[in-house]
Amino acid sequence: MHVDPNWLAAFIAAPGVAASLGLLFTGWGLRRSVAWQYRLALIGALINFAVSVPVLLVTQAGNRLVLQMGLYQAPFGITVIADALSGLMLFFTALVAVTTLIYARGTLDDRDRLNFYPLLLLLIMGVNGAFLTGDMFNLYVFFEVLLVGSFALLTLGGQIGQINGGIRYVLLNMLASTFFLAAAGVIYGTAGTLNMAQLAERLPQAPPSVQLLIAGLLMIAFSTKAGLFPLFFWLPASYHTAHPAVTALFGGLLTKLGVYTLFRIYPLLFPELLQEWQGFVFVVAALTMITGIFGAMAVNTMRRVLSFHIISQVGYMIMGLGLAATGNPAMATFGLAAGILYVVHQMLVKTAILMAGGAAELEAGSGSLLRERMMGLRQRAPALAVIFFIAAMSLAGLPPSSGFVSKLWLLQGAIDAGHWAIAAVSLIVSLFTLMSMLRIWQKAFWGYPKAEYQVPSPIATPSRQWLTLAPIAVLLAFSLWIGIFSGPALQWFDTAAAQALDRAGYIQAVSPTNTIEYLGGSYDAK
Amino acid sequence: MPELYLRLLDRVLTPILLVLAAYLFLRGHNEPGGGFIAGLAAASAIQLQILSLGDEPVRRRYARFLHPMAGLGLFIALLSAILGILRGGYFSSLWGKVQLGEVELELGTPLLFDLGVFLIVFSVIVSFLLALSRQDEGKTP
Repeated sequence: MHVDPNWLAAFIAAPGVAASLGLLFTGWGLRRSVAWQYRLALIGALINFAVSVPVLLVTQAGNRLVLQMGLYQAPFGITVIADALSGLMLFFTALVAVTTLIYARGTLDDRDRLNFYPLLLLLIMGVNGAFLTGDMFNLYVFFEVLLVGSFALLTLGGQIGQINGGIRYVLLNMLASTFFLAAAGVIYGTAGTLNMAQLAERLPQAPPSVQLLIAGLLMIAFSTKAGLFPLFFWLPASYHTAHPAVTALFGGLLTKLGVYTLFRIYPLLFPELLQEWQGFVFVVAALTMITGIFGAMAVNTMRRVLSFHIISQVGYMIMGLGLAATGNPAMATFGLAAGILYVVHQMLVKTAILMAGGAAELEAGSGSLLRERMMGLRQRAPALAVIFFIAAMSLAGLPPSSGFVSKLWLLQGAIDAGHWAIAAVSLIVSLFTLMSMLRIWQKAFWGYPKAEYQVPSPIATPSRQWLTLAPIAVLLAFSLWIGIFSGPALQWFDTAAAQALDRAGYIQAVSPTNTIEYLGGSYDAK
Repeated sequence: MPELYLRLLDRVLTPILLVLAAYLFLRGHNEPGGGFIAGLAAASAIQLQILSLGDEPVRRRYARFLHPMAGLGLFIALLSAILGILRGGYFSSLWGKVQLGEVELELGTPLLFDLGVFLIVFSVIVSFLLALSRQDEGKTP
């Protein structure tokens, strides 16, 4: 099977074109323009999804798709590269994008939601670009693109709480971006290039102190984006304020993008440093898990609890990175594959549970677990209760879901390599996750409705209910599929991890030239 | 009430700023200039109008075009990149020559891309300026 690398442009062009055409309809009167923006956005997201399938299949066969922007050779033009890791991320991002769009159609109030769909697509464009790019500065640019899109989405309602959360979100993320920019400057000053493949060749020759500086700056930047301990404060401050569809999209994609960059950059650029840092990575992973889960036990609103769960789950992914930080190639592949599986599992299940939790909040008119507004949702919305239950059990790691398989794999990797402490922490945190899920279940779904509800629920009509629940069911079906047919699925993640760790293959696929061509000849750069 | 001399200045300077923007836009390919800076220059002409006429007339005149214009700009920029696939690669440039009497103009997709950038920068900056110069402080937005 052959795929023209130019198709990679579709991941940026399709959402971008759909968003830009959607903006043209803003002058048409609110209801009609929102309807057209939705249609265009759905088409854009579906094209994005349709292209991601062949890209996934081709990269799974062990190929890397490389596109040089404007046909300039590697270090001069911007490289766009898709390997199996990017392919998996792109596929599941496209899936999350389509489902979130439909879910948003079911739950959004038309009134002050003008431009929601174009902004959502701009965010997807940024995320796709960051998964694809093979250039450090371009990665920074795409981070900014998605930061702009996410800030606008976060504050779309214009309520005071949203602005408050949005300002914290944007301030802390800008700070992280500044660290990233500083790192990019040091990288360019040291290695004379920002192309990742050429950096993989050149950075290991840099003085150890400079390498340490770059790796440290990047670690601060990416772990803020990923929501790692102790840099996660922006996340629980802002996520619960937005509309449920926005929270679901952010929870499913943004922190995972941070984790992806860690998975991509550290094995590629700092393989030796990563091994030295193994202990540190495990400590960060454990502290992230523990603080996240304690935060989740301490707060009392549905989506705030789930936001803290995002953080504690990121700890597991970083545990995968820690397992990959070893000299033994088989162990490293195994560990990183478990980490990637965990990322995908979270993309599916976190989006699903935030959607379900958001729908429950909308249904009850409140997200508080302390008051009795949410009691008895099991009777009022039985389908929603079933879906939430499946999502919660997958998040807690019960079979036969993807949560079980991914946790099992991580645990096996940790125990095989003899990292008993992190294995114990991950098990205990799993137990607490289950407790926290049961707490939500008990406070929100069980029991009998205490008060008469007079809340006009936005998801009351049957068609809207279908639009709300079907996307969650699709995401959960994928989660169960990974859990039940885990054998073939695990092969995917194995391939992805092997490719991500294969530095020579990456360099060869991009094959950056050291020769500068000019009119009439060429000379070798030092 | 807007000042008389500002209105006079507006009459004189706005066309000059717009011509300057067009000049910067066209020279941008090989020399300093381009869509971004031209968009800023054109937006400064609008700011002059806001200062001289007050924000309300300017908002009435331009506000409904701003979002579609940003969308159009993004679309044109992406289109110019997609057209590059005709020559084999996303973002590669296509060039053509247009004979206008004595002058030979080189037109190509990079210019189209710059036009997209111009439209986005212009409309986004103008919407910032309009939002910042809003005068009804009593009402919350």
